[in-house]
Amino acid sequence: MKNRILFGFALLGALAMTSCASDDTADINITDNSVVNNTTTNPGGGSTGGQTIFLSGTYTEDLELDANNTYKVNGSLIMAAGTTLRVPAGMTVEALAAGSDVYIAISVGAQIEAIGTADNPIVFTSDASAPAAGDWGGLILLGDAPVNSVSGTATSTSEIASLPYGGTDAADNSGTLRYVRVQYSGGSADGQSENNGISFYGVGNGTIVEYVQVFEGKDDGIEFFGGTVDVDFAAVIGAQDDSIDWTEGYTGTITNAYVKHGADHDKGIEADGFNTDIGNNSNPIYFSAPTVNNLTIIGLGSANSSEAVRLRAGTRAMFNNVVLEGYNEGFDLDTDPVVPADHPTGEGVVSGETQVTDITFIDINVKVKNDTGIMFTEADLISGDGNGTGTDFASWGAGWTVGN
Amino acid sequence: MKQKITFTIFLLFTFVLIGNAQNGSIVGKVQDKEENNAPLPFANISIKGTSKGTTSDLDGLYQIPEVAPGTYTLVFSFVGYKTQEVENVVVNPGKITNVDVILSVNAAALDAIVITATTRKVSEAATLLEQKKSKDIKQIIGAEELARKGVGDAAGAVSKISGVSRQEGSSNVYVRGMGDRYLNTTFNGLPLPSNNIEKKNISLGLFATDVIENVSISKAYSGKQYGDFAAGNVNINSKEYRGEGFIEAFTGSSINTNAINEDFVVSEGSGYFGDYARHNQNPFAVVLSHGIDPEAVSAPINTNFGIAGGKSWTFGNDSRLSVFGTVSFENGYEYRRGEATDFTTVEKKTFKDAEEFEYSTTTTAMGTVSYKINDDNKLKFNSLFINSSTNEVGYFGIDGTGRDRDAILNTDEGFYQMNAQFDQNQVYVNQLMGTHKSGKFEIDWAAGYNFVVAKQPDRRRITLENYQFALDNDPSTNPTFYSNIVFDNQRYFQDIDDSEFNGRLNLEYEANENLKLNFGYNARAKERNFENIRYGYDIIDSDFQVTDVNNFDAVFSPNNINLTSGDGIYEIRVINTIPGLSNVNRPGLPENTYKGNLDIFAGYVDAEIQTGKWLIVPGIRFEAFDQSIAYDVINLGNSGNATASANENFILPSLNIKYELNEEQNLRLAASRTVSLPEFKETAPFVYIDVTNRVGGNPDLLGSTNPNFINVSDVAYSDVLNLDLKYEWFFGKGEIFSVSAFAKRISDPVNRVVAFDATGTQRYFRTGETAEVYGLELEFRKNILKDADDNNLLGFGINTTLMHTEQDLYDVIQGTYSVSFSETTEQLQGASPFIVNADVSYSPTFGNYKPTGNLVFSYFADRIDALGSGQLGNIIEKSVPTLDFILKNSITENFEINFSVRNILNPDVKFIRETSGGDVLVTSTNGKGVSGYDRGRNIGLQLKYKF
Repeated sequence: MKNRILFGFALLGALAMTSCASDDTADINITDNSVVNNTTTNPGGGSTGGQTIFLSGTYTEDLELDANNTYKVNGSLIMAAGTTLRVPAGMTVEALAAGSDVYIAISVGAQIEAIGTADNPIVFTSDASAPAAGDWGGLILLGDAPVNSVSGTATSTSEIASLPYGGTDAADNSGTLRYVRVQYSGGSADGQSENNGISFYGVGNGTIVEYVQVFEGKDDGIEFFGGTVDVDFAAVIGAQDDSIDWTEGYTGTITNAYVKHGADHDKGIEADGFNTDIGNNSNPIYFSAPTVNNLTIIGLGSANSSEAVRLRAGTRAMFNNVVLEGYNEGFDLDTDPVVPADHPTGEGVVSGETQVTDITFIDINVKVKNDTGIMFTEADLISGDGNGTGTDFASWGAGWTVGN
Repeated sequence: MKQKITFTIFLLFTFVLIGNAQNGSIVGKVQDKEENNAPLPFANISIKGTSKGTTSDLDGLYQIPEVAPGTYTLVFSFVGYKTQEVENVVVNPGKITNVDVILSVNAAALDAIVITATTRKVSEAATLLEQKKSKDIKQIIGAEELARKGVGDAAGAVSKISGVSRQEGSSNVYVRGMGDRYLNTTFNGLPLPSNNIEKKNISLGLFATDVIENVSISKAYSGKQYGDFAAGNVNINSKEYRGEGFIEAFTGSSINTNAINEDFVVSEGSGYFGDYARHNQNPFAVVLSHGIDPEAVSAPINTNFGIAGGKSWTFGNDSRLSVFGTVSFENGYEYRRGEATDFTTVEKKTFKDAEEFEYSTTTTAMGTVSYKINDDNKLKFNSLFINSSTNEVGYFGIDGTGRDRDAILNTDEGFYQMNAQFDQNQVYVNQLMGTHKSGKFEIDWAAGYNFVVAKQPDRRRITLENYQFALDNDPSTNPTFYSNIVFDNQRYFQDIDDSEFNGRLNLEYEANENLKLNFGYNARAKERNFENIRYGYDIIDSDFQVTDVNNFDAVFSPNNINLTSGDGIYEIRVINTIPGLSNVNRPGLPENTYKGNLDIFAGYVDAEIQTGKWLIVPGIRFEAFDQSIAYDVINLGNSGNATASANENFILPSLNIKYELNEEQNLRLAASRTVSLPEFKETAPFVYIDVTNRVGGNPDLLGSTNPNFINVSDVAYSDVLNLDLKYEWFFGKGEIFSVSAFAKRISDPVNRVVAFDATGTQRYFRTGETAEVYGLELEFRKNILKDADDNNLLGFGINTTLMHTEQDLYDVIQGTYSVSFSETTEQLQGASPFIVNADVSYSPTFGNYKPTGNLVFSYFADRIDALGSGQLGNIIEKSVPTLDFILKNSITENFEINFSVRNILNPDVKFIRETSGGDVLVTSTNGKGVSGYDRGRNIGLQLKYKF
């Protein structure tokens, strides 16, 4: 009676496994002695007569922040098309340290005018008394400049806030950011996405971005999703993911960029030619192809930091005057072919669309790691090794930046 | 393919051309003494000493045509009734002989009643007869056929019906290639809720055969059915009992050839019977109190046992009370080893070596009380409870070669994930129904209340980098946690409850013999509440060494929480905070919630017009549809807390025509307009994140008038036009040949597509203007050998569907979510161009020993699982053949030993992404956590005893 024997075994199995689920969940008592969330309003103190105004929701009219007041972003502050958000020099805008859903988004057709000075920069930061990376979302600018995730007038939807972006207006003007610092951003957007410090979604070159810093962000520092916006004088310090990231056909120019990694970090630059989730849907096909002038990236040493610059998914890039310091690898090029016969990232090097001119490697074990599937020599990519001086962050970053 | 068609057409002609001589026939009526001489349908009538015979119809009438002149003995029999012989029946050339009988229960035969049931719609011949008599196009499979084919549940049952295929490894059923969203499931004719957030239909696998009287699929619409009808309606009739009393018990064991050799593990916290005791605890307390590591179980041997019984009492004034109850438990262990890959246009994440352990349970309890007040009035109460659970533990990248293109330390190897989850679904169904006859009127009413609780408590997920260091026996190198975002290591909790009230009322008026009218009313009000929350483990030191990959409990113990800066290993993060509390190391609020409401009210009228050989049933239904979804979800900006709703009125005409070519052959035509409605999960913009997939809803499916949207119209439903033409020939007892052609046109069809939102989330879109479906179905069932008593010795059945589908695609869709297509047309998602089901049965008799052997085969061709968008290719579910062998051994009348081998061919279950560089093996949201695995063979023995 084989079946009886089997049945016997089955009963054994039943006994071996707990026959009934157990609970044993302890009562949790939380004694909260911290003051993390009980921040005082009006930290300026001096401006009596001012009041704390909470900002969130979708603004369909212009929003002009008054230097006499204190503002706190306590939700999604979204500027609708046709509106402008004006932030005066010297203002600190605090954001509720709630992690998710607290951010400032400038929709397509809206503008931000945040114009500070070296002496009076504008700061967007966490309201926590002991602020930490990931306390809030960050700054999101959206425009209708071209992105290669869609073709023609079609739009894509942003990773954060699900707002549309992308189009055909390369000269899109989303306003001005000048002497602006974004701190402690990078809160989770959902179970798989985090906010960056400053995100540019399809932002065009009519927008002025100069003297910006992202400090202590949980995700990427500055990320470009397509678009043509130019950025001058950008510093990313202590970003926990990639410091500068581009994808979806970004073609602007970055001049004077300074990256310094903290204990937790990913790449200095991580760059994709297109969004690999949905493909390169541009017609005719093009890849991200920015120009980066005067770049310094500083890691934690070749024993601790893996890659300074990773180029993948067909991105092109022209680098001029670069210093890379303290990584195992300087440049890592990946192929990411859509068709196995293609090697788009490597083809950019061979065709001369990806070049590095004047560079200095300090404490770098491998200058170039070529995983593109196409043979090229280091000399095909790099010229003027030893001539790079990077960016003069000490002089242009003086006064208005932190953490250097 | 072409050859097969020619062959069947040839068969058709041969059978039709068999000639007629000058014969007579026998007709008559069979009545049921136990039911006050009511007509007794499905009784067997045979002519002793010949192979001729028939079965009585719904009115108890029977006809045996083409009887050679002579004198015969007629034998009347019905399960549980005394067999009666009528001698000296004389048949004259060209004349009709009338023989009426009344059958009664034979006390001596009472034990035999117990066999499967004394019900009437259980036998294969009876179900075919009902099919033959039915007003519309319908296929039925009864308990007898289910038992013979070793079908364990309703999902297996419907997959024996032509045009139906089942998704391997799940209980998803496709009718004519159209999946879940185009089907409805009813229980005793009342709507049934789904047990799964991702599904509209309940998993048919939850209905064990011991609660099923029969299962039918209506592929043609009639006005009595809810208007949300595209491919078909599956109806499960619950078992009823009319005999004098019985108790039977069974127990069985089986092994899975893959699972039996593994050191089996399950997610901690659930019990052997699929129970879980922490549902009422705050998830934050669960996270702090309980660890992560799966726990070992010994001896993964599948077990099932159950008991069923029934009894009825007859009272003086023709009234009878019958009760039937059944309780059963079944569990199963499955082990899958394959790949898990997320490949879009490039490889995002791949685990070439991954394994999953799955322990599943089903507990079913059903009670039925029916009370026959008298011949004209009946009441029935039915209560069903199902607890189903799955406990899955997956280890991804166990060989240390896993890759993630966004890995931080190493993008070439060592990416690893562990996922342990437990899902528990509890379904309660309560129904009260009755029929009342008075003269020419008959009222049929029913009211139901359904309740579903579906929970996924405490899914645990861990992500590591450099896992190869855990395999290298070098204690100085270890994996580290991958903590790109704080939820790469997380605990997740999800709760859904559904409740529904529904009812029907039908008034039938028989104006005369040739005209019946039906007036009816249907209503259902359904509500769903959903919420989820997750806690992430944010690792403070990204260089923290994981020295034992089997002991995460030691790492994530409450002692290691970082309460003041730098003194711990991790912090617990939540997305939505409780106002005034931090998102760090504090309980939080639900991440996403939604509440869905569906209200449908409908009235209908139809007429059954019988003129000669024609039965014409025109009908019209007016239906008011009101659906809303109120959601509060993350990551949708200021649109995240909103409501989408739609309110429509439908006029749904239908026409069913049957033309009786002769006693055995019918021609049928059915035409109707129906609708296809969006589901809650398709409209709620909540995203479920799996190991390698993410899928979410889209409120635009309920329509939008936003002028900035492109190719998103103010349409909340799909219009469906249906046309069916069927020829059927019941050429012998339990034998059928049928061929049907069908066409459907679906406007604004819904497909699942990767949206353009920078994260690769699959969402639902109305992807084009129309989809068209054309197909041909064939069914052939034949007895090859019969014994002297006209019982089937050797028989076979085959059914097959050939189908062509095509839908147009918009070039661009711009709405709440956006997408674009590079193709302009595509096949319909889920449609297989070719489906076949076949079986052979052999049941010889050796004295009292009557074994039945069955070989059952099914196959579907490759079909689209998810539509590609942009540069992305489609995800294709690869064809799967299934072959089972089942041997039923009746040792004595009371005792059975059954033996089965399932999944004999043991094929690989695969999903692939089509790319311009060739096919890439990927996982699907419709499939399991791994792809390219085989399920192993299940070898089982079962003992069944009737007292």
